[in-house]
Formats: sequence, structure tokens, C-alpha cells
Amino acid sequence: MDDQELEHIFYEKENGHQILKCIQCGTCSGSCPLTGEMDHAPRELFALIRDGGIREALGSTTPWYCVSCYQCMVRCPQQIPVADLMYALKRLALSAGLACSGHKMPDMYKAFDQVTRRFGRITEPVVMARYGLGHPGDVLANLPTAIRMLGRGRIGLLPQRTREPKKIRALLASRNQEE
Amino acid sequence: MKFAFYPGCSYEGTAGYPESVSAVSRALGLELEEVPDWNCCGATAYFSLDKYQALALTARVFALARARGHETVLTVCNACYTTLRKGYETLTSDPGLLARINEALKSEGLAMDDTVQVRHMLEVLTEVLPPSIWSEKAVRPMPAWLGSSKVAGYYGCQLTRPWGDLDRPERPDMLERFITALGLIPARHSAGTMCCGASHSAVYSRACRPLVERIVRGVRRAEAGLIATICPLCQFNLDAGQIDLPAPHLPVLFFTQLAGLALGLAPEELGLNKLMISLNFTG
Repeated sequence: MDDQELEHIFYEKENGHQILKCIQCGTCSGSCPLTGEMDHAPRELFALIRDGGIREALGSTTPWYCVSCYQCMVRCPQQIPVADLMYALKRLALSAGLACSGHKMPDMYKAFDQVTRRFGRITEPVVMARYGLGHPGDVLANLPTAIRMLGRGRIGLLPQRTREPKKIRALLASRNQEE
Repeated sequence: MKFAFYPGCSYEGTAGYPESVSAVSRALGLELEEVPDWNCCGATAYFSLDKYQALALTARVFALARARGHETVLTVCNACYTTLRKGYETLTSDPGLLARINEALKSEGLAMDDTVQVRHMLEVLTEVLPPSIWSEKAVRPMPAWLGSSKVAGYYGCQLTRPWGDLDRPERPDMLERFITALGLIPARHSAGTMCCGASHSAVYSRACRPLVERIVRGVRRAEAGLIATICPLCQFNLDAGQIDLPAPHLPVLFFTQLAGLALGLAPEELGLNKLMISLNFTG
């Protein structure tokens, strides 16, 4: 996808034109719990996109640090749906193959997706185990907590599941019909 | 009163949510029917990956509840609440997309429409039940250790945001009203709607630790003895997250456990033994 196509998807199909209203006040950046971790604070990211930097923005860590707390969204004086646009940037980054490789959340979400497809429901330790195949250090770091939970009877060793997970797979696969 | 109950995936492994939700429902005469064969709501993961799939997962939950003749799906998780509500708002205003998803649900004999809504159980206990129920059923006087502790309500993120119609997004007071109705003293503090780090805390713990520190600091400054939460992930992050912080540690209860104590139910009926930071019943 060239930049023009990326911009078209973001602005027209994903409600991204809302950022044209941004007055660069920085309320979003000031309200964000993880702004310090991002390579561009949300305000800056919108400025970057408006200046033609969509490709760089899609490779940014910013949307992946978004925890969906929606503080930016309820505070934005211009009613820009900031958190929803972060979701849109994540989806576009993945589909265009531009998501930053250094961030761990894409792998976490993919593990979540795999477990949902397999069982219809997720069980946190199962998601963690699958994610941990690529990030063993994070599993080790969470081990003491997992042991404490086990001691209190809070970790089931069997994955939770729906009656027929293949129906959930079929539902998820229906995205590819017609459109 | 009868509701469809959507436990969500985190529910089973929580520190006493299932125990306290059923004990309190029984005591109050609320009938909760678990949504049969419910699936994962998709949480923040699916909206990050694929919007159609995210919405389809939520639609199946509403459709299952509808098939059982329900009008309300009750949840006890903020993430489930906001994800399901987002599904409801998006799909009921996009008939074309809803029709497409319903076509896929047809193979299971299911269809979603706008007749089933989602509500958080806190809303039901605070706004739907008559307030007199607590003065009728709660133990009076409250045990001294409980009656003398200030309780800090912790809302987390996804109940009042982004919706803002359930309660104010900044400084909501539903939990404080709930705590007061139980006959307990709510703490006034500034951390009620600050983010706990949510699922990022599992893989970005260093970045999320200051968030928990900030919340606990705010609550301690208000001299609270307990924290009351309404979401599995919030409870987990505040409970497990305090272990690495300097003492004293504050027990983090689910609002249903607090209600159970106020109703005079035994701690073991409320799963209180599963908290990482134990509750001291004599202090």
C-alpha cells in the first residue's frame, strides 16, 4: 500500500478525518497513563499524520501502548474519539504489515486470538503460555504471582471453553464472506 | 428480578467474585441465569485486530441472551461492559453490518437485535434495587472492624468512560453511594478512575507499576482501610501489584464481597480467602 492509500483508509474508512479538528492542546497526552512510554504522545501522533507522516505513525509504538482507558476521549475538547482512532491505527498497521516490531502487545493480542479460536473463551494462563513461546522472560517474571494464585486455588489448569469452539471459528471467519 | 448473567473469561479465576456474586444475589433475591454457551467478548484484543470479528463476538452474546428471552445482560467486568456496549452501540446504528453478522449467526439459530442491553451489576445494586433493601437486610450494627474502616471505591476505566451516561466520567459517585447504602464510610480520594494498567501490566510491568503506586498512594492518603473494585483486572492489578510495594498493604475487595460482609454473610461464603492481601477481621 502506498501512502495515499493508507491515508485514504485512515481518513475515509476509519473516521480518521476527525483529527483535522485537533487543536493540538495536548489534553490527550496529559491524560494518558502511559504517554511516557510512547515514541510520540497522542497529540504529536495526530500532528505527524496531518503532516503526511502516516507511514511513520503506523510504525509508532503509541497505539500499542494505548490501554483503552478512554480518558483522552472524554476530555478532548474537540470530541475526537482518540482511543477509537488508536484502535484503527493498530488494525491498519497490522493489515499493511507496518506495525512496529519492537512492541509486545501485537503478540499478546495474537495469542489472545489464537486461544479464542481454539476454545471460544480465553483462560489467562493459557494466553500467557502461548504468548510466552516468543517471550519466555515475561512468563518467568509473572511466575511468582502465578504460584501465589495457584496457592489460593485461583488458577484452573484446564482451559475454559464453549461447547463447540468451531462455531466461534466459523463466526470469526464470516468476515471474509462477500464484504 | 431476573437477568442474563455474562461472567466473562476472567471471572472464574478471580479472588472470590463467583462466590460473592452468587451469595449476594441469593440474599437479595436476584436471579442470574448464566448466558448459555457464552463466548469471549473479544476485549481490547479484537478491536485492535479486526473490527468485524470484535463486533461479531459481542453480537453472539446478545443473541444468546435474546434467545433465552432476556432484556438485560449483567456483567461484573469493566472490559466486558464496555466491549459489549460498544458492540451494542455500533451494531444497532449500522443495520447493514448487523444483518451481515446475523447471517453468520443464523447457522446457530441466533440473531441479535436492539432488545437486549448490557448493564454492570453495580448499577443494578445501586440504581435498580430499592435503596431500602440495604437498611432492611444489612447487619446493624456493622462489626466494629468493618464499620470503622473507610472504604475507597475504585472504578477503574471502562465503566464511566467513554459513555459518561452511567455516571460522570470524572469523579463519579455511584460506588460511594453504594458504600454509603451498605452502612459503610466511603473515603474521599482522587484515584477512583485512574488506570491500573489493565492487560499491559502482564508484559509491561515496569511501566505500569507507577500507576498502581499512584492509586494506592491516593487511597492511603485518604486513610482508607479497604479498596472496593468492580472489575477482575482492576482487582488483580491492585491486589497483586501491592505485594511489591512497601507495607502497609490494603485489602482489595470486589464490591459484591463488601456487600456480602454488610449483609452478614460469612467470609468463606464470599471467597475472601482468595485475596492475596488478606483481610484482617479483627483490626
